[in-house]
Amino acid sequence: MRLRETEIEKNSFEVSIGFEDLPFDTTEIELTLGYSDGEIPVHFSGMIDEAAGQLPRRCDIRAGYRILDVSRPEERLDGLVVGGTFFRLDKIVTGQMKKSTQAALFVATIGPSMEEWSRQLLKGDEPALGYIADVAASTAAETVTNLLHDHIGEKMRSLGLNITNRYSPGYCNWSVSEQHLLFSLLPENFCGVTLSESALMHPIKSVSGIIGIGPDVKWKDYICDRCGVKDCTYRATRRRESLNPKL
Amino acid sequence: MENLVARIGECVERGKVNKSSPYPRDMQGQEGTDELTRRALDAGVGPDEILQACSDGMKRIGDRFSRNEVFVPELLMSAKAMNAVMAHLKPFFQTGSVKAKGKFVIGTVAGDLHDIGKNLVAMVVEGNGWEVIDLGVDAKPAKFIDAVKQNPGCTVGLSALLTTTMVNMSRTIGEIKEQFPGTKVIVGGAPLTQKAADQMGADGYAPNPQGVVAFLNGGVQK
Repeated sequence: MRLRETEIEKNSFEVSIGFEDLPFDTTEIELTLGYSDGEIPVHFSGMIDEAAGQLPRRCDIRAGYRILDVSRPEERLDGLVVGGTFFRLDKIVTGQMKKSTQAALFVATIGPSMEEWSRQLLKGDEPALGYIADVAASTAAETVTNLLHDHIGEKMRSLGLNITNRYSPGYCNWSVSEQHLLFSLLPENFCGVTLSESALMHPIKSVSGIIGIGPDVKWKDYICDRCGVKDCTYRATRRRESLNPKL
Repeated sequence: MENLVARIGECVERGKVNKSSPYPRDMQGQEGTDELTRRALDAGVGPDEILQACSDGMKRIGDRFSRNEVFVPELLMSAKAMNAVMAHLKPFFQTGSVKAKGKFVIGTVAGDLHDIGKNLVAMVVEGNGWEVIDLGVDAKPAKFIDAVKQNPGCTVGLSALLTTTMVNMSRTIGEIKEQFPGTKVIVGGAPLTQKAADQMGADGYAPNPQGVVAFLNGGVQK
């Protein structure tokens, strides 16, 4: 495996990811902002460079996962038991995960510094730069999560297992309130990410979720046409990939 | 003077803040809303007329945003240019010579931290002459109730980005309507539709900031 990992508790691993490991591409920020490739006004393209330039020193990357057993109660079709806890995943996620024998519960974060800088700019004299910094931070957090996802996939393949796409509370009709269940199965203060009473992560630029594992699971694209959220990050990612396959 | 007012509107639309601002490129070195508003006031132009120009400029950029001709960064530059106008007009609001159209309480509902859209709406609504009370993100129903109590006659705007926090939006509307049945509530955010807004009992739905302004100016709270 390319990335180094440390087992901090039984079946719980923290993966070392440096900013230099991220295949970061500012074109992705332009596309997320809405501009077609090469059509962004010069002023904003300068802001993207400024925001991207802040990422190496403001990103405090931490990522990790825990492997747990999965079972599917016969009488329940709306979720799965992960590590002895029933998750009401709704139909979309349950359908994609149902053949899993294990699952990786994961967390990835870039830390609080980018969001704090972005917030200051948004409240101050540079709201456009603040917004672009926010998008750059989200892109970085997703890129870290992609690396973690790839790492887990690589490790499982070496054990003869396959993995699914990843799913997060708050998306694909999986209630954000189930973050509390997810975090209850992770080591305390895992990767420095904590939850608010209303199940929101701190630092904000963090991603948590679940990846199915098993000999018979398959990686499938997100089924966005079954979901009502038109501006979802994952739908946008799919759209970007279809417009620009090199990303 | 008419030219000055028209130029203020144009600068709001183009996001031109002041002479030293490098944005937009084709207006470099020209005066922006800051200098033009000061000059207009010195020349005796009424604050109401300037406010109207500001509102017209925001409407034009808002319409272009709705048509995907421009994106959030352009809208934020316009909001910044508009804020420069508002800084000059603030004393007129404080003395009461210009009256706010009403009060608008806005917040992102509990369980949701997304605030870019909410902030944009707040800025555009303020630029259209409304007093905005921003409750921030992850705002629980009790926070909205308190704000309505403290601002009788206000209109409430609720924002959400996650589908799963629409439940909290519905709960918030229910609690506001139970305690203050006459209070109008408008909702917005990526997962929302007119149908969802109707089902939640909201009085309005807007897919963009201009929609909120149209709802407010349509006679909700005069």
